[in-house]
Amino acid sequence: MRLSSLTDGIFKNNAIFKQMLGMCPTLAVTTSASNGVAMGLATTAVLMGSNFAVSLFSGFIPKNARIPCYIVIIACFVTVVDLYMNAYFHALHKALGLFIPLIVVNCIVLGRAEAFASRSPVADSVLDGLGTGIGFTIALTALAVCRELVGAGTVFGYAVAPSFYVPVILAVLPPGAFVFLGFMMAFTRFMSSKIKGGGH
Amino acid sequence: MSGLMLLFVGAALVNNVVLSRFLGICPFMGVSKSSETALGMSAAVAFVMMISSVVTWIIEYAVLRPWELGYLQTVVFVLVIAALVQLVEMVMEKTTPELHASLGIFLPLITTNCAILGVALINVQSDYSFIEMIVFSLGTAAGFGLALVLFSGLRERISFSSVPEIFRDAPIAFITAGILALAFMGFSGLVR
Amino acid sequence: MNKQLKIILAVTAVSAICGLILGAAYNQTREAIAEAERADFLAGLSEVLPPYDNDPDKDAREIKGTTVYEAKIKGKPSGYAAVFSSGKGYGGHIYVLVGMDAEGKVSGVAVLKHKETPGLGDKISGKDFLGVFKGLSEPGLIAVKKDGGIIDQFSGATMSPRAVADAVSRALEFMRDNFISEEKR
Repeated sequence: MRLSSLTDGIFKNNAIFKQMLGMCPTLAVTTSASNGVAMGLATTAVLMGSNFAVSLFSGFIPKNARIPCYIVIIACFVTVVDLYMNAYFHALHKALGLFIPLIVVNCIVLGRAEAFASRSPVADSVLDGLGTGIGFTIALTALAVCRELVGAGTVFGYAVAPSFYVPVILAVLPPGAFVFLGFMMAFTRFMSSKIKGGGH
Repeated sequence: MSGLMLLFVGAALVNNVVLSRFLGICPFMGVSKSSETALGMSAAVAFVMMISSVVTWIIEYAVLRPWELGYLQTVVFVLVIAALVQLVEMVMEKTTPELHASLGIFLPLITTNCAILGVALINVQSDYSFIEMIVFSLGTAAGFGLALVLFSGLRERISFSSVPEIFRDAPIAFITAGILALAFMGFSGLVR
Repeated sequence: MNKQLKIILAVTAVSAICGLILGAAYNQTREAIAEAERADFLAGLSEVLPPYDNDPDKDAREIKGTTVYEAKIKGKPSGYAAVFSSGKGYGGHIYVLVGMDAEGKVSGVAVLKHKETPGLGDKISGKDFLGVFKGLSEPGLIAVKKDGGIIDQFSGATMSPRAVADAVSRALEFMRDNFISEEKR
């Protein structure tokens, strides 16, 4: 078991900023910070579960049947998360709507199952799921906080902007999602080039 | 008839699948670097979307609802779509090799295109009738093609201009998509 | 063993296991989901109805294809509520839950589902706007000022308030016609 299984997914291979995976939910649910966190945590739960199951069963699954089997396993965990969220976090479930079942086709989940869990020990796979999920959650939350702050003047529903601030509604509308993500990607590139430059 | 017309326009322009519902972003970003591949991808998506919508709709009403198996929806739909894509690829290879040569490379990518599963889910969650489902899927496919082709044209132009280092490729593509989405917002209010 | 058979076997086995897990999860969550959905709806009902001591969602009846929820205090009707929709909005149908007291006045309005523009049209689900309807009893006057009614539209958005007013007006008229006797009107 290596610690790097956990940390790689958070920083080095951050799914959104570095690998450009899982874009649909990233853009769609980041209209408020609480939605962003909820979506991130739901995806993390699915990632850990599917990585665990895929790593456990990979020995028994013939090579050619890999993808359909993985898809069924992932869909199974997604439905479990969907059912329990609907039962115990009903309001959040309503807010995220269609994008809970769509975790199935989030390329991050299938990508980690195929690229990591299918050829790694169980413990490492679960850690990798946790790390990738945390990285995804951080990125979603960062984007959602920015959009909610600019678009509504609030963070997690609390008013933080001064009263004279007029919210730029466009930030929480569809175009705002694309533009904010574009600028955030440029910003992370700028920062990582700075850090690398300083190391030399 | 006008109701169906509105449904089509609504799905294609007002609630555009990519620019307002955020489904199918991966192919939207991945294959939009040239207009030619964009056209091919749009055709492949339209084809699979129509078939999968019809099949999943029939399964929902013939099997899942009568037997109260709604909780198996996600698993069944995603399996059906994966199997359909395989089937379409095999049939295409045997019967129309030319079509397969031009669309074949896009087909495996479609399994994880959330627009396909998304439309299948929206169809049954909105309780669309069979005809409404056909019209909605057609409209969505048209909207996907329109957005993808327009966007690839924009990206072809951008590739000739000097973009600052940190904005190159993905960031500028997203910002451009944002402006395109802004243009599409002009369509809202078209359908009441 | 045949290669294809192996694939089919593997997928079937995995699907069967998943099916079992899902069946168990579904049975475990079914009641909680039904309860959460009911609590959600009851919260909406208690917002729009006058005080009651029964379960209005159980004391519901169907009148001309519309379900009406009846609120009672000690067995005596204290109010009625029904869901009406209007297609006059900006982004498709708006679903509104309308409550009426025993005198035939609007006792409360809640917006259940809408797709209006965030920040503009979605002000219709705010308390400031919905409070205006309380106590109104004349279906004909429930319309935005532009249409000759008494409801304030807000700057930049006329269509969303118009749709809500339309739904409230029709709901009130329907419930008055069916529950309030002639002399009281």
